[in-house]
Amino acid sequence: MLNLRMTKGRNALFAAAVFLASTALTGTVDAKTLKVGLTSDAVSLDPQAGEELSSNILFYHIYDPLVRRKADLSFGPGLAESWSLTDDTTWVFKLRKGVKFHNGTDFKASDVVFTLDRLKKSLMANLGANISAFRAIDDYTVEIKTPRPYAVLPNDLAAVLILSEQYAKEVGNEKLDLKPVGTGPYKVVEWIKEDHITLSANKDYFAGAPKIDTVTFRPITNGATRTAALLTGEVDVIQDLNVRDVSRVQADERYKVLTQPSLLNVVVSIDNREKSPTIALDKNPMADRRVREAMIRAIDTNAINKIIMNGLSTPSDQYVPASHTGHVDGASFRTTYPFDLKKAAELMAEAGYADGFTVTLDATNNRYVNDQQIAQALASMLGKIKINLKLNLMPKSNFFGYIRVPSNQSSLIMSGWDVPSGDGGSMYGVMFYSRGKKQGYGQVNRGSYSNPEVDALIDKADATPKLEERDALLQEVTKILMRDIPMIPIHYEQDLYAAKKTVEITPRADKFLWAYEIDVKE
Amino acid sequence: MLGYTIKRLLQMTLVLFVVSVIVFLMMSFTGDPVFMVIPIDSTEAEIEQARRLLGLDRSLFSQYWIFLTNLLQGDFGRSYVFRQPAMDLILERLPATIEMVLVAITLATLVAVPLGVYAGANPNRPASRGIMAGSLLGISLPGFWVGMMLIFFFSVRHQFLPSSGRGETIQFLGLRLSILTADGWSHIILPAVTLALATLAIILRITRAGMMEVMRQDYIRFARAKGASRRHILFGHGLKNALIPVVTIFGLQLGDLIAFATITETIFAWPGTGKLLIDSIYRGDRPVIVVYLMLTAFIFVAINFIVDIVYTLIDPRITVK
Repeated sequence: MLNLRMTKGRNALFAAAVFLASTALTGTVDAKTLKVGLTSDAVSLDPQAGEELSSNILFYHIYDPLVRRKADLSFGPGLAESWSLTDDTTWVFKLRKGVKFHNGTDFKASDVVFTLDRLKKSLMANLGANISAFRAIDDYTVEIKTPRPYAVLPNDLAAVLILSEQYAKEVGNEKLDLKPVGTGPYKVVEWIKEDHITLSANKDYFAGAPKIDTVTFRPITNGATRTAALLTGEVDVIQDLNVRDVSRVQADERYKVLTQPSLLNVVVSIDNREKSPTIALDKNPMADRRVREAMIRAIDTNAINKIIMNGLSTPSDQYVPASHTGHVDGASFRTTYPFDLKKAAELMAEAGYADGFTVTLDATNNRYVNDQQIAQALASMLGKIKINLKLNLMPKSNFFGYIRVPSNQSSLIMSGWDVPSGDGGSMYGVMFYSRGKKQGYGQVNRGSYSNPEVDALIDKADATPKLEERDALLQEVTKILMRDIPMIPIHYEQDLYAAKKTVEITPRADKFLWAYEIDVKE
Repeated sequence: MLGYTIKRLLQMTLVLFVVSVIVFLMMSFTGDPVFMVIPIDSTEAEIEQARRLLGLDRSLFSQYWIFLTNLLQGDFGRSYVFRQPAMDLILERLPATIEMVLVAITLATLVAVPLGVYAGANPNRPASRGIMAGSLLGISLPGFWVGMMLIFFFSVRHQFLPSSGRGETIQFLGLRLSILTADGWSHIILPAVTLALATLAIILRITRAGMMEVMRQDYIRFARAKGASRRHILFGHGLKNALIPVVTIFGLQLGDLIAFATITETIFAWPGTGKLLIDSIYRGDRPVIVVYLMLTAFIFVAINFIVDIVYTLIDPRITVK
């Protein structure tokens, strides 16, 4: 008897030892790591303290939104399992049960209420501009009211990351920034400013444990150094590969180059006012639709693509990409108004400006890819139809204050616009709605474009809680805009990544590189 | 001595005050910082809210007044972008910069002074001419080019040294240092060499010029006649007398390197203060720029003060008044 028990005990011990050894072994063999070279360090890990790409990338590792925006810009459940409309302006979100924050506390409706409350008072208040009231119905149900019917509330909520009420109140803002606690797939291990941020997998993540165990983000601002860090194996993936390094990286069989059309549409907004600040004529020639058509026909976007962008841009068909509401399938500025200098000159003559006019273009010189060269190309292209384009180039820190509506110093403004929420309406409302008619509309309508028909359609789109109706109404707006040409779309920039061949990564449309979607093969 | 110190302190206060005024005025020309922080399609109300949160809703004069009164209470203001005390942001990054600069300047001095003494004492030898030609190269080659070439050669081509970052660091007296680990040294070597090159060339040329001047003096001839060893003549009599301008330049270069190691830090992704300055200028982050430049001014004044003291140690004829 005794003997038997002894052996049993010994066997059990042996088994335990084998088990321990094997887990320790697989632990070291399978622990996958990924090192990512970013263009800059995160400014802050508090998702309500500001927004720029590097911070955004990290936010989505640490925190979760109620609604998840997927890599292709479709939307699905996040911390909310489902949602429904109870009336035109009231949404009810059912929250996922059993989700825990990294510090072990349960995720509840009160955290959502706290997050929205804090958001309203923060620098990022505009993320909650379409939320008028919110409350917890019970621990796992939240009711959110919109000031008017608003079909794309879930899209907006994809950018609102849920904080832990208990943790935020306990540690205060500063610590929340430096040692964030969320529900996301990764936890922050260490953040040495400007050197690296190390994250480790949250094994209990509600959607399943991440495939990569340790992710390190390193800020490497200089493009050439970033490429060097990839080629030396110091990092596995780099963001924003230098255009001139593309062939060098492609030539090496250990690496691959990935491209993805970005959402950033580079556009030139045209002054529609009767008199324009930089044109020394009594009447603004560009208020005439024929002049605007002549301008778009004189701009050869394919040449810009080939010569300035090295093929790394996509001439834009409309103001928003095909994945967005408001995009009209098949329609394109490029086919409606193809590059045609002869026709352009005819239109100018028809409008009474055969001899052209002089106008200034405001543009940045450090914000968009090759922005200065694009502006110079526009000057030479418009010069062919005798529009003498003067360039007023400035760094971005001056630019955005300078061109700000009422844009009293500008006639033509080149800038970029992206709509990561996937809703064209958010762009149309602020850019094409008549200025000063309605609070929250037309505040970036730099050309002072005004069309009562467009205003009415946007009003209608913003009054329906149904997404299909909204989409149809916004498509009507697009058709009118394509006729009126209040802005000339140039191109979408191309996002460039380079990675080791062993890294399985598909670039996201919104640039938010997410390790949860990445795997590493042996 | 005490009077001298007090005089220098007063001068320093004046310098810092002027720097703060100039930076405040200049920053008002570089665009409205609020647009760097908020989303571009924000409404007027949201912009007003952001201005209030950042303290930008007041006039420039009252902003400056608030800055000044806070300063006297030891509060240097908060970064618009990071929302943290500006001084903390800088102090957090300062050890990395100082560490790199100290390695660079030590390297430069250790190489430059002996070579300078040699070239100054033997101006006509081919080796001296070679050294002088090399020093011209060191002055003329731009740092960013040298940095990229070093990365290309030592990191990409030969995979011998890492291209960027600080590597493994160890906490020592509360400071994070990389010179205490082998990995850290492998990371610091390339940026330090890049940074050292121009300084090395300048110190070398100054040392050589001083030595050539001194070697013509009567007391050197006298020392030779006395039968003193050549090493003693060069370093004991020659170098010691040639050192005053070298120390001056050393001080200026040290301040320069600490304040403006910007390019080297950007190329090697070195997490120091220079990169913070550039980023802050791009972001219109005035509090950080003001504090940074004031700190820089302070460092310059402090180094020059120390240099003045060192003069008296090298040359007993000099006294501070």
